[in-house]
Amino acid sequence: MPEDNTPKDFDQIQIGDALGPEEFFLSKDQVRAYARTTGMWVPRFTDDEGARKEGLPGMITPGNMSLAILSKLVTDWVGMGGARMVRLGTTYRQPVIPNHTITLQGFVTHKNAEDRTAEVDIWIENEEAERLVIGTATVQFLK
Amino acid sequence: MALNYDPALIGRVFENTDPVPVSAEMVTNFCQAIGENNPLHSDPEAAARGPYGSLVAPPSFAVTFRNGQHFFQHVPRFGKQGFDAGKDVEFVAPIRPGDSITLSSHVKEIYEKTGRTGSMVFVIVRSTLKNQRGEVVAHVDHRFMNRP
Repeated sequence: MPEDNTPKDFDQIQIGDALGPEEFFLSKDQVRAYARTTGMWVPRFTDDEGARKEGLPGMITPGNMSLAILSKLVTDWVGMGGARMVRLGTTYRQPVIPNHTITLQGFVTHKNAEDRTAEVDIWIENEEAERLVIGTATVQFLK
Repeated sequence: MALNYDPALIGRVFENTDPVPVSAEMVTNFCQAIGENNPLHSDPEAAARGPYGSLVAPPSFAVTFRNGQHFFQHVPRFGKQGFDAGKDVEFVAPIRPGDSITLSSHVKEIYEKTGRTGSMVFVIVRSTLKNQRGEVVAHVDHRFMNRP
């Protein structure tokens, strides 16, 4: 997570505020580690050759792992302790191929002072700026 | 296209899994795999001083609990091509090491949509996760897309 994990202050949030961009290299080993620990050790997530036999271009990232990566973008933005993510929706548009750099980003779309929630749009982009996975999340602020 | 399915299957729970115990190691391995280093999820001492009073799993840990091997036999299919189009998760309460999680699933909704690429049928299966005290910790809606 970012160095600064101070809780986000609800009153300071503005529509349009950015989440990320956060860029990182998604390695095949990281995808395999996820597949191993979550019981998803199947060829499409672990091995290029096996994935090709299933008609895929090579091994792909489990949708759940993309969801987890986007979830972390939101919880990192929120910081420690001041708020809780209460909802996250994702749409898998195209496979996320490991051994590439991906960029995570998003922005605040709504703010509701009554129930102290903020909504964000978030997505995972590849090097060609194609949005592979898109999502929305709702964060509830305490107090 | 008229969607052909038995309306009685909507809402009927077709799956109740055995409890899966959550170990500290499972949470640690999950955090490592997604690069999570927030102390709430990775540092028991710091987490104890935090808002949850003890270490909790990252929210996305909720989607790692799986339905049984016969799950897909109960998910209606329309056409040949079906795939996982996404998930909608409602996080109700944190999951902690030491918890035991069960999952029950039902078909929540079936609907058709026409997009740029033609007609699509979406089947939404809701899995509700409960802990050992029977408290709901999360609802996970699986969105399966079929091309008739």
